[in-house]
Amino acid sequence: MSDYINIQNIHKDFSGLKVLAGVDFKVREKESHAVIGPNGAGKTTLFNIISGKLKSSSGSVVFKGQDISGKPPHILNRRGLSRSFQITNVFQELNVFDNILSGVRSRYGRRYHFFKNPYHDRNICEKTESIIDEVGLTSAKDQPASSLSYGQQRALEIGITLSTEPELILLDEPTAGMTREETEQAIRMIDRVTTGRTLIIIEHDMEVVFSLADTISVLHYGTILVSGTPEEIRNNQLVKDAYLGEE
Amino acid sequence: MKQKSKSLIIIGVLFLVSALMPIILKKYHLSMLTEIMIFALYAVSYNLLLGYAGLLSFGHAVFFGMGAFMTAIALVNIPGLSLWNAILISLVTTIFTSIILGSLLLRHKGSYFALLTLAFNSLFYAVATKWREVTGGDDGLAIMRPELNLGFTSISMTSLTNFYYLTMIVIGAAIIFCWYFTHTAMGKTVLLMRENEERMKFLGYNINISRLILFTFTGTMAGLAGIFYAFHFKFVSIWAISVDMTTAVLLMVFVGGTKVYWGPILGAFVYIILQNYLSDITARWPLFMGLIFVIMVLYVPGGLSGIITSIWQRFFVKKNHNAGKASTAEVVTS
Amino acid sequence: MSDIPVFILHGLAYAGLLFLVSAGLTLIFGMLNVLNFAHATLYMLGAYFSYTVVTQMGGQFWMALILCPLMLFIIGALVEWFLLRRVHAYGHVPELLLTFGLAYIITELVKWHWGNYPLAVKVGPVLESTVQIIGITYPVYRIFIFLCAVFVGIMMALILYKTRLGIILRASVNDKEMANALGVNIPLVFTGVFAFGSALSGFAGVVAGPLLSTYPGMAHDILIDAFVVIVVGGFGSLGGAMIASLIIGELHSFGVLLFPKLSMALIYLLMVVVLLIKPSGLFGEKS
Repeated sequence: MSDYINIQNIHKDFSGLKVLAGVDFKVREKESHAVIGPNGAGKTTLFNIISGKLKSSSGSVVFKGQDISGKPPHILNRRGLSRSFQITNVFQELNVFDNILSGVRSRYGRRYHFFKNPYHDRNICEKTESIIDEVGLTSAKDQPASSLSYGQQRALEIGITLSTEPELILLDEPTAGMTREETEQAIRMIDRVTTGRTLIIIEHDMEVVFSLADTISVLHYGTILVSGTPEEIRNNQLVKDAYLGEE
Repeated sequence: MKQKSKSLIIIGVLFLVSALMPIILKKYHLSMLTEIMIFALYAVSYNLLLGYAGLLSFGHAVFFGMGAFMTAIALVNIPGLSLWNAILISLVTTIFTSIILGSLLLRHKGSYFALLTLAFNSLFYAVATKWREVTGGDDGLAIMRPELNLGFTSISMTSLTNFYYLTMIVIGAAIIFCWYFTHTAMGKTVLLMRENEERMKFLGYNINISRLILFTFTGTMAGLAGIFYAFHFKFVSIWAISVDMTTAVLLMVFVGGTKVYWGPILGAFVYIILQNYLSDITARWPLFMGLIFVIMVLYVPGGLSGIITSIWQRFFVKKNHNAGKASTAEVVTS
Repeated sequence: MSDIPVFILHGLAYAGLLFLVSAGLTLIFGMLNVLNFAHATLYMLGAYFSYTVVTQMGGQFWMALILCPLMLFIIGALVEWFLLRRVHAYGHVPELLLTFGLAYIITELVKWHWGNYPLAVKVGPVLESTVQIIGITYPVYRIFIFLCAVFVGIMMALILYKTRLGIILRASVNDKEMANALGVNIPLVFTGVFAFGSALSGFAGVVAGPLLSTYPGMAHDILIDAFVVIVVGGFGSLGGAMIASLIIGELHSFGVLLFPKLSMALIYLLMVVVLLIKPSGLFGEKS
């Protein structure tokens, strides 16, 4: 029961095409876990299953001792699981504040309220401001998301993910498409905002992985090749042959 | 807070101006103003779907017509029914209809949603036409306005002025409430629905519930407009529940503009005036309607309110321009 | 109940007509993702053009069968090229409103030019005759309608699934970038599909004119039935449109026989039941 989240034997077929063929790994509470692997290894599919976007063909996801497989995304989010998207997925025509506010007020149970104006709730506004500060968008607070630079949009993506104050955060390639400098900035930010929380991250950039992750799983053709500490992964012959060797 | 007092002043001024209208306007125009108010609520409720949530419905007349018909049916069949009870019965029926229809349509969006709502509108129209015993079919139903019972006194509603004041207060309050609604948590959730339903799910929002709430709310408001429509004309025909009635609201909203809250109100104003004068001049009103649609879509997608807003902004161009510059400068430095 | 074969055949004829209208609608829907509200008015235009060709210009019915779809093809191409294309980038709302406005304009123009009353079209001696079929005497024309639908259905299926053109069409729907990479001119494909759908609708109108008579309300009368076909059959599914047309055609026919007052409600009832049980339609893919 000490496992915080336990992925058990997940299979996924897309009309006959096997994408995941028995994925197993565990993450302990407050650990940062990275899932790496080549393109097409099924990383995003795995995330989609954990976060409730897709249903697995078989297998289960156990979160805090409860089987959560097949639960819809909004229920999973209310239980403390939040995810980001590889392709920026924000509310384009709303400004940064309203983007973050959407998650904060959801967390405070102000989703469908007919009479209360969320702007008038001090707790909600303060929480929103503090998340905007954390992801470094304070100066762009009133700008519509569509006018932000790419790096800022990625920061907003993470900000929205954090806005429901999740215990378990899933980040899908948060630094995809960033310049070296932006990536370094992003790593520092992610490291800062995920302290004290459990993180599962999909990443291509080895530098990001080795600087952020406590443990790593290597996903290869739909199965986990090996799981371990960064050190173990670096020295593993199988991984070297299959993946790191290509770099 | 400043914003709040500003809105209160605007509401107060509008209230006073409207209250003076029976003194200023002739009976014919006062009747037209009453009609404009009723259709303004209908249009505002529709724009919450189209402009705010991005849902194109071709079935809004179902709720408008339901409100109108239930009022007429209740008044015809229940002798001595009070005004409030007629409203209550009709509103409850409309709410039930919206919930049932809403649950059937929940899973569909885009073109498919448009198609289904049109089909349902036709279904209700067919029922209203065929079920003559209850709806009067092609002949429609004629009613009398019951008097308004305030507990300590009763006010006759036979005079247009009295009915105008009732409309002004009830419909006015509903329009203000719809405006307030856009600032509430649910109102902001509606915007999220337009922008990105997918992401909402991952933030703990139940999409089906959100849509059902919105659909029921807008349906109820359209129903309230329908109720007053029945009272105003003292007559309900199957036109009230026809696809043409949906087209009418679509035209009002589109002509007025979907981007700002008062767009549809302006649209209702223009529509009623055009319809009153243009249909006198020409029997080819539908042709003009079609042309207006096509021209608006191609050349004026923002509607009349869009034109007004851009002219307004041109007046304050200096101010806005500087503000824009300041914020871009901030981005560069950050 | 010796009438039953007659009603079955009546149902088949109406099913044929419905299929001809909804095939074009569902094709445009599936490929362009545009719900064409003007589709049924194009069908009506086909019927009126045919009246002009046959009655006013003294042509033969078969000429109308060829000429009118061609005219509708051109009209469809123009509509797509000059109107729909311009608003395509802004999503489905302007597209729907545009076709909606067009429907009003065309209907009014038709009333203006041809008048607001029913017109009849002569189809020639062969099609006006009757034949002996399964023991009853039955009009050739209704059988002709059904055969037209079968022919069109088979041709469309062959084109879509057996030819290079079909592969291009389906690729343009599923993966626009890939189709682009293959050098497919997507805008041209869209114009072509819209024009073809319009031509099909016009063809249906020509065929419908002599059976149902030609009048300004004919567009509205078939539009809702065609919509229900699409809902029941499933979005953009040709096979679904075929089956749903048959079901609704027969339901229409037997509804009149068994529950004359409720016949219209039966079709809506079917739609509601399908929506409840399988919201994506009988043959629709899950969105």
